[in-house]
Amino acid sequence: MKLRVLAVPHVILLVVQIAAAQQINFVACPVVRDTRTVPCFLAEYEGETYFLAVQQDISADQYPPQLLHDVLVEGTIQPGPRVCGGIPLKPVKLSVMPEVNPACNTILPAEPGIDAPPTHRPAGPSTRPAAAAAAPAAPAAPVRPTPPFGEREWKILYDFDSAFLFSRDTRTVNQAADYAVAAKAKQIEIVAHRGATLLSNGKVLVEGQAIAAQRAERVATLLKGLGTDPASVKVRVMSAPPQPDGKTDPENRVVSIRVSP
Amino acid sequence: MRAMWVGSVAVLAATAAMALAQQTASTAWISAGTTGVLPAQAEFPTPAGRVGFLLSGGPVEMKGHPFFTPLGKNGRACVTCHQPAYGMSFSAEAARDLWKRTGGKDPLFAAVDGSNCPSLPQEQEKSHSLLLERGLIRVFLPVPKNAEFTINVVSDPTGCNTSTVYGLDSPTPTVSVYRRPRMAANLKYVTNPAPRIVLKLGALSDTDPATGRPVGMNFMADAREATLITQARSALLGHGEAQSVTDDQLQKIVEFENQVYVAQIFDRSAGSLVEPGAPPALGPASMAAHRPGVLGDNDYDSVFLSFDSWKKGGASPQEQFRASVARGADIFMFRQFWLRDVTHINSIGLGNPLKRTCATCHNHQMTGQDLSAGFVDLGTTNYPRWTEPPLYSDARDLPVFKITCKPEALPHPYLGRVIYTSDPGRALISGRCADVGSIVMQQFRGLSARAPYYSNGSAKNLRELVDYYDRRFDMKLSEAEKQDLINFLGVL
Repeated sequence: MKLRVLAVPHVILLVVQIAAAQQINFVACPVVRDTRTVPCFLAEYEGETYFLAVQQDISADQYPPQLLHDVLVEGTIQPGPRVCGGIPLKPVKLSVMPEVNPACNTILPAEPGIDAPPTHRPAGPSTRPAAAAAAPAAPAAPVRPTPPFGEREWKILYDFDSAFLFSRDTRTVNQAADYAVAAKAKQIEIVAHRGATLLSNGKVLVEGQAIAAQRAERVATLLKGLGTDPASVKVRVMSAPPQPDGKTDPENRVVSIRVSP
Repeated sequence: MRAMWVGSVAVLAATAAMALAQQTASTAWISAGTTGVLPAQAEFPTPAGRVGFLLSGGPVEMKGHPFFTPLGKNGRACVTCHQPAYGMSFSAEAARDLWKRTGGKDPLFAAVDGSNCPSLPQEQEKSHSLLLERGLIRVFLPVPKNAEFTINVVSDPTGCNTSTVYGLDSPTPTVSVYRRPRMAANLKYVTNPAPRIVLKLGALSDTDPATGRPVGMNFMADAREATLITQARSALLGHGEAQSVTDDQLQKIVEFENQVYVAQIFDRSAGSLVEPGAPPALGPASMAAHRPGVLGDNDYDSVFLSFDSWKKGGASPQEQFRASVARGADIFMFRQFWLRDVTHINSIGLGNPLKRTCATCHNHQMTGQDLSAGFVDLGTTNYPRWTEPPLYSDARDLPVFKITCKPEALPHPYLGRVIYTSDPGRALISGRCADVGSIVMQQFRGLSARAPYYSNGSAKNLRELVDYYDRRFDMKLSEAEKQDLINFLGVL
């Protein structure tokens, strides 16, 4: 694929590069592709297959979509070889749409030549890396925030129409709480937003009216439960969705936590 | 010196206990109010061999002990449903035997929840059919005030949910579901504290009302009680119909429970499960010695440790059986399948489906529970994957409810906004539509002593339990693999 692109005339190469940087936003059923190792998650849009994610575990940054649900894909086409039979998207934000769609139920068998990218965890139980097996490391002690304490901000990005805090998100809230407690924060400001997304077909998806309030409430509850001073927690709910641009829309489905000592 | 104790009312010296070893389990039923000493170690017959019972703190005098003494008006004590001879639960077979021996007069059959409904004629055996056939106790709960759903009764074989006294239309609207009593043993594992944030909820865990510390949310089918203390109080006031209970009584009950360890100790085909060289996770002493809170979903420190010593097999039936057990352990740990549509597993970022193994969910070392808060919707209570007949059946004996999620609620992740269920499970506590059918998974120890299985007692034996998983996840287990799994589960 790469050689073919290099071999074409200069003008065509330019076109390919523009296309390669293309943002693509669509809603589709995920398709699961079994492989010799872990399964891949793909989606088809306008006759093309895109690679979305691979099975990992909750320590991963990218979580796979779910069968029985549509997936909202917001990604940038990544030049280079196909992954697991699909065009890779990077960066990509995947949102499991909340309602059940029984039509999303396709699992393809493994095929020779279609392999999942490497993952740190196999399909079965986890394995201990050889180095760790030889000299098991002691568990790392939690890092406590230390002075000087300045103003700091954390952001949590959400799936579309979701207020669920995944493991990756609760780690963020934990960090903010630890910092606020250590800094004896005078104010913890939570600003929660409601987003909208411009799809590649021109359609606009807007999140539910109450989603920003739900996000704020969950984060505030968590912060208070993690030991911060409840009186210091202030909440702002931004219920008006911004104008979507089809590029930065995932960044608008966000809660920011600003800690001020 | 190990005592073998199978008597019902006695102060036993170890030698006397040995002489009683040939008695049947039914004579080992401890009635509420029994006096005598419960020895520190005992073995009780089970269909597959013997279950081992160990008190890590030494023998316990039952006389006056609140675990064994009726504290309420119906004559029950904790021991009524948590019998040492039956893995600190009881089997449906034991309940039937007790009915025959007592003419249904034992407090186990108390109207409040030992019958299908208190409104039924209590002297009739059929009024207790769920207890006698499935080992089920009625659990009656209000619909949560914050419920994201409406609930309607679709069918009501017991009559309790449509009763104007006990049902949803009563002055205190109540839902009756029917569940197996859980084993009150190995509790250091079951009550292992959880992190402050529950992975499955993305929210704070419940806390111990006495200390404010987070709790594991891993005992009781719906995790509705935070601690053994609150559970004991609730059970005594509810199941026991006590008017009051003192803190001292609660402390003594929990002190006792916390020293009880149960596991199979002898198998008719495998022989001794605790002899030198036996797999290290077997037997109650291993349960007592091991530390809780270890994640076993890995290939170097597995859920039930190693069965390598039994792998080599041999010519004798015992060696062949032991090799089958070892294969079963490997199937449990390594046999991959599509794990799909399970609320609180597939829905927490792992993806749906997930190509994994039994040990993914049953990952707590030594018990096979989930190290995280254990409620998941395996599907046993929700149509269409429930364990009940798939088509209309006059013989259906559990109630069926229709749950309709309110428009603003998040739907059940795999069943949507209208769910038919025989037990809403965790949703009756959390009020969340997404939790309908989520039930806390149970530990795998002493299984032979306490059939039937699943929260709704739908699997009469381990074969039916394995068959359900095979169907549920389209595992395509061979007959040999099923038997290996059954043999493995049977020795735990």
